[in-house]
Amino acid sequence: MRVSFQEELDQLEASLQEEGALVLRVLRGALNALAQRDVELADDVIAFDDDVDQHYIQIESGIESLLARQTPVATDLRLVLAMLHTNLHLERMADYSVTIAKLTKLVADVEPDAMLLQSLEDMGERAEEMIRVALDAFANRDLQAAESLVDLDELIDRSNRRFVDRVVEIVGEPGLREWVLRMVLVSRTLERIGDHAVDIGEQIAYLLTAEFREFTDASHPEQHA
Amino acid sequence: MTEEEHVSQMVTMPAMRPVEVAARQDAELQTRETVFDIQGLTASYGSNVAVKGVDLAIYRNLITAVIGPSGCGKSTFIRCLNRMNDEVPGFGHEGKILYHGIDLYGDDVEPVEVRRRIGMVFQKANPFPKTIYDNVAWAPRVLGLKKNLDERVEKALQGAALWDEVKDRLKRSALGLSGGQQQRLCIARAIAVEPEVLLLDEPASALDPIATQRIEELMHELKREYTIVIVTHNMQQAARVADRTAFFSIDSDDQGRYGVLVEYDETPKIFTAPSDKRTEDYVTGRFG
Repeated sequence: MRVSFQEELDQLEASLQEEGALVLRVLRGALNALAQRDVELADDVIAFDDDVDQHYIQIESGIESLLARQTPVATDLRLVLAMLHTNLHLERMADYSVTIAKLTKLVADVEPDAMLLQSLEDMGERAEEMIRVALDAFANRDLQAAESLVDLDELIDRSNRRFVDRVVEIVGEPGLREWVLRMVLVSRTLERIGDHAVDIGEQIAYLLTAEFREFTDASHPEQHA
Repeated sequence: MTEEEHVSQMVTMPAMRPVEVAARQDAELQTRETVFDIQGLTASYGSNVAVKGVDLAIYRNLITAVIGPSGCGKSTFIRCLNRMNDEVPGFGHEGKILYHGIDLYGDDVEPVEVRRRIGMVFQKANPFPKTIYDNVAWAPRVLGLKKNLDERVEKALQGAALWDEVKDRLKRSALGLSGGQQQRLCIARAIAVEPEVLLLDEPASALDPIATQRIEELMHELKREYTIVIVTHNMQQAARVADRTAFFSIDSDDQGRYGVLVEYDETPKIFTAPSDKRTEDYVTGRFG
């Protein structure tokens, strides 16, 4: 048994979970800034992304070093590869949160439509839930939980469709036009965060089953029905 | 092709699914020629069983690695493939080793002919205390292959990637060569009689990393013409050079400890997703 190697793997995985916790904080900050039209908080969110980036780089170089020195194989190799991918997915989620903060700043002086705002908050909460499920499923090596991310993602997609219906209703109102356009991007961004959580679920399934398969396949949706 | 036809072809093009790729690899193996078909091989020395119940097929022009902890019988196994164990007192075997369908241990099979077709290189380079030329020419002379001997020696040395280094000193002692050169000389000696199979028993374990790399590159060259079976302690070496890998481990019963074949598969499978927990524990360094 290679003790130092196992310690390195454990440390990398702990860092990945820390990065996940930071992503949850940065996303919550972005959602609060949006709901409260809080420009200061939006700036904090943008600055906070550097912490996530530092974690990302630290994990990336840790994996590079481990691959160069330890040549992991079998489960160890799959764990390292799953961490490499998950690291990137988490970093992208933080970047999306920054996008929400930036969009918030652009339209902070507009009185928002309460219904649309509520539906964005719903989508945000679902995205947060998906990130939590993905992180827990990774830590617990829980295939069933990883696969459940597809169902959670469907809930975000449904909220997104309701959001679009409301957009169509109010997009004609001159005072709201720019705000609505910006919020369409926010909605798209939250939907993408959900997709990245599903991708993490796929990495967990690869780690546990040694077989990579897409949970959902946009180009062949009927095969996953 | 009209644009319409082109579009219609794109629409009807079958989807590429990962599972199809896996199926194609299996199909390729089915069409490969089997060189050794080993059926229920048990080998023992006196009352000590070295390996028990091995079933395995070795395919043409592939490198097959045999890995496993000390005492798992991997060297005994590879030595059975060219009857090198025949001279060992007390050696006995059960089961069959079919070489192109012929029982290697059949009554009418001549061991010398077996070893001509199935050459072997050992862990420690063992050149004769003779000239480089004589080392390579020795086996062909013994077998009466004396015609064009110079060409045969040159071809063997070139095949072993040694010719350029020794062509100006063929008449000097082989003992003056470096360890890595001596090992390649042994490979030249083995291929001088144009065997079909090369058995390599830990061929690089006594060599430094540069010499090891040369041997590994040489194996990639040699597999075009030869079927190679290599026993190695070095798992990364197996991962680097072998197409297929067999993992042997140690089992025991009230009769004692003996080697068993645990898993045999494509090398990437063994090192990314082994099927057996014992293989997983061994390749990840959690055992042995």
